[in-house]
Amino acid sequence: MYPLIQLGPLNLSSGGVFILLALLLWNWLLSRLATRNATDLSDQVDRLFLAMLAGAIVGGRLWYGIFNWDLYGANLVLFLALRIGDLAWPGALLGGLLAGYLWSLRRGVDFAPLADIVALTLPLPQALASIGMLLSGEAFGAPTNLPWGVPLFGALRHPTQIYVALAALLTLVVLTLLQHRATTTGRSLPPGTLLATYLGLNGLAMLLIEALRADSLLTVGGVRVAQATGLAMMIGTLLWARQNTSPAATPEHSSA
Amino acid sequence: MPRMFWNIAIIVVLLLGGVFIAGTRVQPDAGVVASAPTAPSRVASDPAPLPDHPAPNFALADLDGRIVELNDLRGQVTLINVWATWCPPCRAEMPAIQSVYEQYRDQGFTVLAVNTHEDPDVVTAFMDQHALTFPALLDQDGAVSQTYRASVMPSSFFVDRQGVIRAVYKGPMSRGVIAGTVEQLVQEGE
Repeated sequence: MYPLIQLGPLNLSSGGVFILLALLLWNWLLSRLATRNATDLSDQVDRLFLAMLAGAIVGGRLWYGIFNWDLYGANLVLFLALRIGDLAWPGALLGGLLAGYLWSLRRGVDFAPLADIVALTLPLPQALASIGMLLSGEAFGAPTNLPWGVPLFGALRHPTQIYVALAALLTLVVLTLLQHRATTTGRSLPPGTLLATYLGLNGLAMLLIEALRADSLLTVGGVRVAQATGLAMMIGTLLWARQNTSPAATPEHSSA
Repeated sequence: MPRMFWNIAIIVVLLLGGVFIAGTRVQPDAGVVASAPTAPSRVASDPAPLPDHPAPNFALADLDGRIVELNDLRGQVTLINVWATWCPPCRAEMPAIQSVYEQYRDQGFTVLAVNTHEDPDVVTAFMDQHALTFPALLDQDGAVSQTYRASVMPSSFFVDRQGVIRAVYKGPMSRGVIAGTVEQLVQEGE
């Protein structure tokens, strides 16, 4: 793989570069969609971005450190180390959303419509960051004989990073279709639908793809942390759906 | 959509997901993977970076400038680990190597972490930051990684007390693999 990009005297880690590119893309998408959909908030979206970014960094690092406790427990300073690679996606996702929720509480704005915009902006940056991890050889897969295995660390391996990117793109398609159907039929979705759908599909992707990874963070009994998290996210989405699509809550919303 | 539908969906997802998670969990490494103890006659005589061959000798400076020679470690079980600080899976397995090192050091186990092509300051900083206490050797011209054909990083070679390579791993190892292999090798020639 290509863990380092040489730019003159600079050695940039490809994973880090792609994460930064993904953040730029995310920022741009967020401003664009916020301006288009929620005009009253368009001037504050940069602050929302910063709050969510901070939450994502803190959450991602905490998650990584807690589940790599034999490394981080021995040296707590590592929690503050400037290493972009040592972040875990589930922690970053949940931390970022929590920060966004707290931000909107403080501002006194409704989080659910905002969250739907955020959900639409997440898949593309996620796919981009995942491609970066393919280049840097992080989050790599288990050995496979399938024809699309990528050579890495002495074996042909599942390109789990590409699976993640594809799952993110599929998720975006589903979200766009949901939104499109709501606009064409004139039946608006319950606020929060897109974020709930995103979390559920992301949870499903984590549950399935994590099984093919060779470097999973583990917890008790060899259970992969991301799988348990993914299942919890799916259950969360179903609980949300039970609450919000019952006939009493939204009579105009029929089949899903 | 009736509540009943969602309740059933939740139960089905929980069940299927739970079964899937249990079925794909990472099993504790069963069985030891080092080659079985070989009679002296079966050991090849020519040094090569392969199982059942004597480990090719080398002498490299450690971070304090002292020269460490592999053949001086005869009588100890040695893990030769070829690595670099920029290699994520190398970094990932370091804590596992450290904990196995602490566990078996007193039974005659040592680690030679052969760093390829990196600045001594970078290596020292990495070892300090991660509280790694086994010796790191500086293979600055890459000669040792070439001799050991360690095109894959990390590459690991388990050398028994007689100086014979008993197991070779290309790519990162789990803690169970390291501990299991070392456990078998330290028990052999005590």
